[in-house]
Amino acid sequence: MATIEVKNLSKSYEYYKKERGLFGSFKSFLFREKLYAEAVKEISFSINEGELVGFLGPNGAGKTTTLKMLSGILYPTAGEVKVLGFTPSKREKAYQKQFALVMGQKNQLLRDLPAIETFVLNKEIYEMPDDEFKRNLDELIELFEIKDILDIQVRKLSLGQRMKCELVAALLHKPKVLFLDEPTIGLDVVAQKKIRDFIKKYNQEKKTAIILTSHYMEDIRELCRRVIIINLGKIIYDGNLEDLIRKYAPHKVLTVTFNEGGASREQIEKYGEIAEYNPYGCVIKTPRSEAKNTAVALLSSDLPVDDILIDEVEIDDVVRQIFNR
Amino acid sequence: MKKFLTIIKAFWQRALTYRFTVIAYRIGEMGEIVVLILMWTAIYGTQEVIKGFTLPEMITYILAGNLFHVMVRNFLSTVVAGDIKEGQLSMFLIKPMSYFSYILAREIGRISLATILSVISQFIVISFFLNVFIWNFDSVYLLVIFIMLVLAFVTELLLSYLVGLIAFWTDEVDGLYRTIERVEKFFSGGYFPLSILPAGFVNASFLLPFAYSFYVPAQLYLKKIDLATGLKGILVQLAWIVLLYGLVRVVWERGLRKYEGIGI
Repeated sequence: MATIEVKNLSKSYEYYKKERGLFGSFKSFLFREKLYAEAVKEISFSINEGELVGFLGPNGAGKTTTLKMLSGILYPTAGEVKVLGFTPSKREKAYQKQFALVMGQKNQLLRDLPAIETFVLNKEIYEMPDDEFKRNLDELIELFEIKDILDIQVRKLSLGQRMKCELVAALLHKPKVLFLDEPTIGLDVVAQKKIRDFIKKYNQEKKTAIILTSHYMEDIRELCRRVIIINLGKIIYDGNLEDLIRKYAPHKVLTVTFNEGGASREQIEKYGEIAEYNPYGCVIKTPRSEAKNTAVALLSSDLPVDDILIDEVEIDDVVRQIFNR
Repeated sequence: MKKFLTIIKAFWQRALTYRFTVIAYRIGEMGEIVVLILMWTAIYGTQEVIKGFTLPEMITYILAGNLFHVMVRNFLSTVVAGDIKEGQLSMFLIKPMSYFSYILAREIGRISLATILSVISQFIVISFFLNVFIWNFDSVYLLVIFIMLVLAFVTELLLSYLVGLIAFWTDEVDGLYRTIERVEKFFSGGYFPLSILPAGFVNASFLLPFAYSFYVPAQLYLKKIDLATGLKGILVQLAWIVLLYGLVRVVWERGLRKYEGIGI
């Protein structure tokens, strides 16, 4: 049986419309128009043990709403969710002890106290035996290199340090399922990489099923073999990341560098669509099957070619293309 | 139980980090009581008795009543409403501990330091009025007062929690909270003893939960209310606790279905 099983899941929110301006505010003080927004519409997917799946989609696509339903924070409007055989919205303790949710924009750490206090608190809340707690904590402290910041008030930590501590707090009870909602948001490149490496390692070692949402394509590319793309509450792609690129990016990208006097635009144009150009280097898009031949043609031409790189189209571009269709 | 203690300890630590705020609040509290005493002293002037109260009785009423009040009050509504409004509640909903238990332990941890300091500051104020303060060491009365205060603490907690939960529907509860606070202060006898008003007010207040955190224990202390009435009051308190607990359960269940976990 799959670890996570979602069938025809829907969620709609109630909200109120307010007319513009002060007068509108007075009007809606007396009378409000009730509207419904469908955040998630009949989505279905399943995820197996040890799988690390990337959730992609623009803001408001329904990613977080889905994660919230998987965690039991929200009641689904319709459809069915099973995680580890449990129905999340029942909020059974047995389930809660086996998963964790980390949100880049919400924290569970007590801001005014050092992180270690939250860890101790979680130990009691998750009813962990002393030795197990100590073992897990030591392991995580080492992995994240947070030994020196354990006793500093959380609000005095940098964003990267805080995120590390957030992850430690969420992982202390060794969850079998992990939901990560933009865990790298706002972090610098080095901190992002650290968090990423850690997620990768944790997933491989513990065989944890992980759902990850992120707006940083680097996260997705490095971590996820499978991606689920959501837009306007609907799944528009569920499958291999490589297949996605092959399917939606019929082009490859050739980055050509010239030396000597460079090359003019006209000279290059016949080799393919020019995406970027300056006399000493350009980016050419060619059909996937043509990439090799184009490279050969370029090398054997009389253009002063110094170097050619053949690359896949950036995932950002692919995703943008999908959303724009 | 260990869960509770750990949470209480954590929030004690937090309160100690903000010792300045905790102490600053106490100064205002003490000031307010001194103002009340000054006012009554001026009103009495040369009069011996007003509405059955002598001046020392009135001063004792204010001092004892406020002492009891600081022991039973809490500030839960704003905390609960904040958690709901800011979406922080989500982080608790995924944990294997009920939010109510957590918030209860947290509030006890959060206010216990303030409460201890308030009790001390109340005693400091009392020490300035030792010449007029009336002492009552009757252990039976003190026992009844003690039980009443414990129940009043529970009642107040449930009430504030309930008010906080209204944030599920309205997002902000400050307005309602302030109104309830004022109604509560009036019916609890916090502004003045209710017995100076027509008898109907006292009778009504006996049926409401508020008077048991100020007026009734203060009057018991002054032996202006007999033990039988005090015990009857305890029964009323128990009925309120059952009623409020039931309401909390219903409102919580319904509220959660409404909860949107905004801002996450």
